[in-house]
Amino acid sequence: MILINLISLFLLYYLKKSRGNAAFSDQLKKLINYGMIGAGVLIVIGIAQLPPVLLFDLISFLLVGGIIFMILNFPELESQKNLAVTPLPILVVRLVSFLLETIFPTTYEYLENYIAAAGFFALIWAVTMWLNHRKEMKALEIERIISKEKERQLFLAQEKKQELERMVQERTSEILNQKNELQEALDHLRSTQEQLVQQEKLASLGQLTAGIAHEIKNPLNFINNFSELSEDFLIEMEEELDKTPDSAEKSLIQELLVDVKSNLKKIRHHGMRADSIVKSMLMHSRGEKGEVKETDLNELIREYSNLAFHGMRANKNPINVDVQLELDEKITAVKINAEDFSRVILNLAKNAFDAMRDKINMANSEYKAKLVIRTKDLKNSLLIEVEDNGPGVPEEIREKLLMPFFTTKKGTEGTGLGLSITHDIVKSHGGKLEIESEVNQFTRFKILLPKSSI
Amino acid sequence: MKIMIVDDEQDVEILFVQKFRKEIKSKQLEVEFAFSGEEALEKLGSPESPNVVYVFSDINMPGMSGLELLENIKTRFPKIEVSMISAYGDKDNYNKAIKSGAKGFFTKPVDFDSLKKEIKEILNKN
Repeated sequence: MILINLISLFLLYYLKKSRGNAAFSDQLKKLINYGMIGAGVLIVIGIAQLPPVLLFDLISFLLVGGIIFMILNFPELESQKNLAVTPLPILVVRLVSFLLETIFPTTYEYLENYIAAAGFFALIWAVTMWLNHRKEMKALEIERIISKEKERQLFLAQEKKQELERMVQERTSEILNQKNELQEALDHLRSTQEQLVQQEKLASLGQLTAGIAHEIKNPLNFINNFSELSEDFLIEMEEELDKTPDSAEKSLIQELLVDVKSNLKKIRHHGMRADSIVKSMLMHSRGEKGEVKETDLNELIREYSNLAFHGMRANKNPINVDVQLELDEKITAVKINAEDFSRVILNLAKNAFDAMRDKINMANSEYKAKLVIRTKDLKNSLLIEVEDNGPGVPEEIREKLLMPFFTTKKGTEGTGLGLSITHDIVKSHGGKLEIESEVNQFTRFKILLPKSSI
Repeated sequence: MKIMIVDDEQDVEILFVQKFRKEIKSKQLEVEFAFSGEEALEKLGSPESPNVVYVFSDINMPGMSGLELLENIKTRFPKIEVSMISAYGDKDNYNKAIKSGAKGFFTKPVDFDSLKKEIKEILNKN
């Protein structure tokens, strides 16, 4: 019976050591352990030949039967089913020989040789089955390793995929950022290009202006010179006429001469006025720097606010503006760059007109646009104020107003340079440009020129 | 005494003739006209030399400019005085003219009083 118990022990030991034992349930592990202890005890009892031998023999058969039953019925041992079959013939032969030996000892003696032969065959069967089982288990093992490797690779692939996805996402957001940046740059470039085109137009307009001014200047020179000359002649005529005897005709002629003379004076006066305008047009269009010299500031403001107003009226979308000049007549000659300063007046007036035009387009009909230009002789400085009652400047953009290329005007209407140039000019005179404004009420540009620098 | 006026505008002739009517009548002054720099040089260099002592020239003229004429006159006829008359009183032209040896620089519309003064000065010198 020791053989049976050895088989039990061997089966249990094999199961315990077999691969995949990690997946065994606790119940199964317990059964295996108890089974091994039981088999061990039975082996010891078998060696000691302790009575009652028959009972222990039966228990041994029950144990091995239980083990085979266990192998066949536990789902964890599905792959080990062949193992149960391996010792089965040996057990059957043993059981038969045991039963015969116990119940029919005579028949046993008679069949002993056959039973021994059957035992031998059963052993061969068992060994064959065992080898077979080993082979299967190995194949299973290899399969398991392969599947594990596959799993590992799948996991790696998954990880790689995730990593790739993360990288793709990173790159995508990077590219998106770059796209946005590029779009911004493109927009900037476009608006710059538009401004360039606008400047180019302005430049060609400037050239045209220069051309026109030049063409006008020559005939204007003749008007001025010939009117002056004619005046001289009239004076000579008067002198000659005085030498003739008095008569009614003579006094009539003399009266007419006075009128014609005064007319010629008027022609000359207005001719000279036109000449000074043409001259400043030429200087502007050539972008001449001008020079610092004594200038009648009030006169300059009168002339250029007038020019700005009429320029606006002659352009598209003219508006009605009440232009008021409140000039401090105490101010006489001021040392400034008249060319540059005329630009300051033109720019500020033009801005005011544009702002008030916007308000006119929005506001009700009761709104009346008004531009006031003031000069004031403060003790240590001169104050020039250009104030409009337009829409005002919101506080958040007030600071940006003087930055180059900052414009609130749409598209190509403004270059964003007007106020920045104005600021530069004021600074170059040692002055300060300040902005005061209340939304919907007024905008006031204050220029302070310290007397020490003018 | 003979002076020469160089200007591409033909009306300048009438203007000057009228302006200096008295001086011309009294033969104190003779005025010669040229309507381009080339014509001026030709006249100044002709054998029946007009004895011009003073040239007043415009600067902006088609062909030879007044400044080129000035240089030509100064090299070929260094005794003749030259003054420029320009529609533009800009510094560039002024500096160039004075550097090239111009005696005076007048801006248009011509201030005849100052021009007369200038011519009288020369008349008195002679």
